[in-house]
Amino acid sequence: MAVTTGKREVVLEIRALKKHFGGVQAVNGVDLTVPRADMRAVIGPNGAGKTTLFNLITGDIQHDSGVVYFSGNEISGLPPDQVCRRGIGRTFQITSVFRRLTVLENVQTALLTHHRRHYNVFARAARLYRDEAFALLEQVGLSAQAPKPSGILSHGDQRRLELAVALASEPHLLMLDEPTAGMAPRERHALMALVARIAADTGLTVLFTEHDMDVVFAAARSISVMHQGSVIAEGEPLDVRGNSEVQRVYLGQSKDR
Amino acid sequence: MTGKGPRPGAWLLAAVVVLLVAPHVIPTFFVMLFIEIAIVALFATSFNLLMGFGGMVSFGHAAYFALGAYSAALLVKKVGAPMLLALAAGPVVAAAGALLFGLFIVRLTATYFAMLSLAFAQIVFTVIFKWTAFTGGDNGLLNIWPAAFLKSPPAYYYFTVTLVSASLWALHAVGDSPFGYALKAVRDNPRRARFIGVNVRRHQLVAFVISGFFSGLAGGLFAFFNGSVFPDFAYFNKSFEPLIVVLLGGVQSFFGPLAGAVGFKILETFIARQWPVYWPLVLGTVLIGVIVLLPQGFVGLLERRPWRSRPASAK
Repeated sequence: MAVTTGKREVVLEIRALKKHFGGVQAVNGVDLTVPRADMRAVIGPNGAGKTTLFNLITGDIQHDSGVVYFSGNEISGLPPDQVCRRGIGRTFQITSVFRRLTVLENVQTALLTHHRRHYNVFARAARLYRDEAFALLEQVGLSAQAPKPSGILSHGDQRRLELAVALASEPHLLMLDEPTAGMAPRERHALMALVARIAADTGLTVLFTEHDMDVVFAAARSISVMHQGSVIAEGEPLDVRGNSEVQRVYLGQSKDR
Repeated sequence: MTGKGPRPGAWLLAAVVVLLVAPHVIPTFFVMLFIEIAIVALFATSFNLLMGFGGMVSFGHAAYFALGAYSAALLVKKVGAPMLLALAAGPVVAAAGALLFGLFIVRLTATYFAMLSLAFAQIVFTVIFKWTAFTGGDNGLLNIWPAAFLKSPPAYYYFTVTLVSASLWALHAVGDSPFGYALKAVRDNPRRARFIGVNVRRHQLVAFVISGFFSGLAGGLFAFFNGSVFPDFAYFNKSFEPLIVVLLGGVQSFFGPLAGAVGFKILETFIARQWPVYWPLVLGTVLIGVIVLLPQGFVGLLERRPWRSRPASAK
């Protein structure tokens, strides 16, 4: 089942993926290969197509052409709930928690759904997967906040909660769309360090977008650079930093961002 | 929904005692009022499974109330079915109708969801109104009386209160079930809910069918209480009744519709029957007052939640 390149198993493989909105070619023939246990940053200027690429992979929007394989199986065209069940977890650019559920209930709901108990109308949900939910909250440092409605948490804590919710589905690939958006610099590094630690512990593969270059170069093991809907460079952080085209389209402008 | 009332056991016991004793100490007029309140409470609570838990506002819930009422009445009239069997058929037919209509309605959101639900209810109304040979049309169907042992007001009172209590308990359990958690997740953030693995449309459809089932039971109970059924059971005025009741009582709380039903029926009884001309004016004024001053409805006065002391904005 597993596809391999060299000695590392490929988790995500994208070939010639395209999507246009009206006259705008948002994603214009993206090829991308992510091996197991990679921590891959997708960077690029605003409008480069990063979020569109994410939404294509996760089935939030439908692609025009091309194909996406996950662990060797085609997932392009599947709806988001099916993509999630195949083993992809994600967070959103705009913080997305279940605001009127408590922090604990947020994670419990994700666990219940992952274990396909979500059509059960007879059981008392509050009693189910409590320990597992607390363990996930502990992992992201939110167990003390468990009884609060998630909508009143601070922005940073909501981001952590979203991470716990995504992890509840036991994903093989975790996709984070600007996970540190709106956070203070210190918080950003702490969150990415947390993601890196969890990934290292569990062998999770991570694909993330990020605007803060300090965060990218601190956290990523490899980087794909997007520009005008295509991947224009790819490699380890140092190689990408030294790439002249990348400097021209992106890094050179990062000062005034 | 998530809050625990103060000593719920004590409240429950008090409620049971009051409900048991009531028909022996209050005049028949009030026994009848209690029955009506119970039926409206069930109708509104089933409606609120969609609105409060599911974030789906139906403008056409009278369709399922009427389907329940008419299928019970038709079974009695056309095939001479015994009352209990006819009553049991009501919610089943209503749930089937909710499944059929819901397949189309849950594909839409917000305003479009509301308008399509209204459109289906108007179809049900039109069919009942025009198909005189079968449904009696404007004349309705008369002499739909309960079984002999339920004929007296106290007997029908106990019967209704028992069925409604069991139904409210069941709906409450649905809210606290894994299904209910996922439904609230869909309400709060459908996109996120999809990406924990919830099939959002299917989840909404199941909620729609459960809601339709209990609205149908309310309709069936009302048919035998009223002794007759009429096309206006399906009219949009009837569809707005649970909406008004829920807004009065409180959309955020499971017991909001119950509180709203009590307030609504008492107001209606004492104002609409005395001064029918002024009833819409009074209802409108009260509704505006509640929405402005008590956004959590009547139950907002009772419920205290430590994390809600500063009301979180609606979105």
